[in-house]
Amino acid sequence: MDNLKNSIETFKSNPNSDNYDLLQNDWIDAYKKWQYVEMFNISKAEEIMYNLKMNTYPASKERIDNNIDIEQSDLSNPNDWAAQGFPGLDYMMHGIAENKDAVIELYSSNSKYGNYLSTLGNLMSDVTNSVVEDWSSYKETFNTSTENTATSAFNMMVNDFVYYFEKGLRTNKIGIPAGRFSSLPLPEKIEAYYYSKNGFGNLSKTLVLEARQAATEFFTGSNSEGVKGPSYSSYLDYLETEIGPTVETKLEEAKVSLDSLQDNFIDQIADNNTLMLLAFDALQTIVVNLKTDMLSNFNIAVDYTDADGD
Amino acid sequence: MNIYRYLNKKQDSSSLAIFRLGFGFLMLYSVIRIWSKGWIESLYLQPSFHFSYLGFEWVKPIDNYTYLIFLVCAISSFFVAIGYKYRYSVILLFLSFTYIELMDKTTYLNHYYLVSLISFLMIFLPANASYSLDSFIRNKSFKLIPKWNVDALKLMICIVYFYAGIAKINSDWLLEAQPLKIWLTSKYDLPILGNTIFQMDWIHIFFSWSGMFYDLLIAFILLNKKTRPFGFILVVLFHFMTAILFPSIGMFPYIMITCSIIFFEPETHKKILDRTFAIIKNPLNKIKSIKVYNYRNTKVVQTLMIVFFSIQLLFPFRYFLYPGELFWNEQGYRFSWRVMLIEKKGFTEFKVVDSKTSESFYVTNDKFLTEFQERQMSFQPDFILEYAHYIGDYYNKNGLNNVQVYAESFVTLNGRLSKRFIDPNC
Repeated sequence: MDNLKNSIETFKSNPNSDNYDLLQNDWIDAYKKWQYVEMFNISKAEEIMYNLKMNTYPASKERIDNNIDIEQSDLSNPNDWAAQGFPGLDYMMHGIAENKDAVIELYSSNSKYGNYLSTLGNLMSDVTNSVVEDWSSYKETFNTSTENTATSAFNMMVNDFVYYFEKGLRTNKIGIPAGRFSSLPLPEKIEAYYYSKNGFGNLSKTLVLEARQAATEFFTGSNSEGVKGPSYSSYLDYLETEIGPTVETKLEEAKVSLDSLQDNFIDQIADNNTLMLLAFDALQTIVVNLKTDMLSNFNIAVDYTDADGD
Repeated sequence: MNIYRYLNKKQDSSSLAIFRLGFGFLMLYSVIRIWSKGWIESLYLQPSFHFSYLGFEWVKPIDNYTYLIFLVCAISSFFVAIGYKYRYSVILLFLSFTYIELMDKTTYLNHYYLVSLISFLMIFLPANASYSLDSFIRNKSFKLIPKWNVDALKLMICIVYFYAGIAKINSDWLLEAQPLKIWLTSKYDLPILGNTIFQMDWIHIFFSWSGMFYDLLIAFILLNKKTRPFGFILVVLFHFMTAILFPSIGMFPYIMITCSIIFFEPETHKKILDRTFAIIKNPLNKIKSIKVYNYRNTKVVQTLMIVFFSIQLLFPFRYFLYPGELFWNEQGYRFSWRVMLIEKKGFTEFKVVDSKTSESFYVTNDKFLTEFQERQMSFQPDFILEYAHYIGDYYNKNGLNNVQVYAESFVTLNGRLSKRFIDPNC
């Protein structure tokens, strides 16, 4: 995040081609890393709506154009969630004009662009720092709050993970663009839309693959080197169920299915949306296992209302 | 035994009085509890759609007047407890509580049904015969009431326990120890026991079998005078244990403990009441005591009781009339004292198809349902059907033509790996 913030400032003060490339690279790196963060909607992150501030997409063109124009620097209004974060940067780098030179030209000629870019960078850095700071103190609570109550960290994390897999991963990255929840496909709703749309490059597929990888590592308790620790999967083994291996196999199948997609999701949806829908189904079948089998066997306490088990 | 002689047998009216007090105050507390937890708002006012019982589609929450129904329920509970305008109060209690229960079947609970049945029964029992405000105001109390009055309440409790016991005689419960295996294992956070014996297979089996024997036998243990004190201790221990293990069962343990008090001897009831009322002994002593309470229309009431209990005895077996596996499709599952038998979770999404243009999309359930409703809907077929019709009607009204709705549904039952629940093509 510091890298990204620095390269934003560098590009702002000196908008040239090299600095643009630097910024773009840092944006891509950070956006990929973000896929390992989004599911942890806990403590401070939940409180300040970290996820929504970092990755509400598609970015709102109208909102950002207007914000640049009136030099809006307070982006706390929920309507501005679609005007900041990674999608906000995407638009600022790939959406305000149709090619690199034209974008750089805008930054050179009008300081309002650089200012808004810098606002976004500072905001992302600020919210991230506050979440990181909170984690260093919350970590202890999180690690010890393992009881089975509606408010325990363990239960909230399980619910967050399942929620993320269903909404953040399945629905947002594939389902909505592929038109599963609408009459027609909505390619403009893919992640990193402007990057693909204006031909700068493609990131949507990389991001969904990273997200799948993050979910897999979380579910199996693996670190990035593949070393496994205690996890939902090992707990499910302990509970004498077949759910762990079942989900792990399906996660691999989902990878194959996602790999078969074109890099450019807009083209993929236009050319052969069936493949998108197949990828959706591959993720869907995992959601089913997580939401029914895993939650049932964990018997996560939900402090909602009376129920006598029927 | 001669049936006529039995029907004419009398006993002390204290038993009804103590039951009335216990039941009335417990109901008052239940309503306050529901109110203070904000459930009137979240269960009845927030949802835009409610799941109805067959034939009771007209019973719906009525905006903010819903609070009024709960208020009526609370006040009538209190009046029942103190025995004021008893007959009217208990009718109001029955009607208001049953209305609440029928508003949305998402909240179905066996003990709510029990409350409705008991309050219905109580309409026909002179529970205000003594130790009541009515008897004070009218200056007239009855010492004796028909013995069958008290036996009717006992029978109701016996049916609940015994049928709950019968329902536990199934392979999941006895052989797999499900769903207790899942539920007890997940109580790892309970001090001392949680991470030790609750993780052991034989404990799950032991709890399952002893739970079944408890349900099957407790009625007889309570009915027998010699074993009764032991039985009542069992009742208290058993229900306190369930209250600790399964906090989400709410009022159920307390209702059962309170109801079980009826099994004690009338003399015991009288002793307890006399001691409690010692403070206001004087005014009570001045009440003119009449020996025997007599029904004005004995035959009608007795016939009604026979019909009522015949239905109670037969109704839980109606599932024989339906095809398929009871725990899976749940036809004939409710209103039958099947408590804590299944651990079920589902995932259900609906596909809406415009049959003219054959355009289709999936509905996001949170557009229409609360989280709680969605969870309950996802594994109960009658909910799924009702909701699918609702979605169909909604989109027909909102611009689509001849909408067809398909369900994509997966359910897990008692730890089995989830399976497709509904044929996705019809």
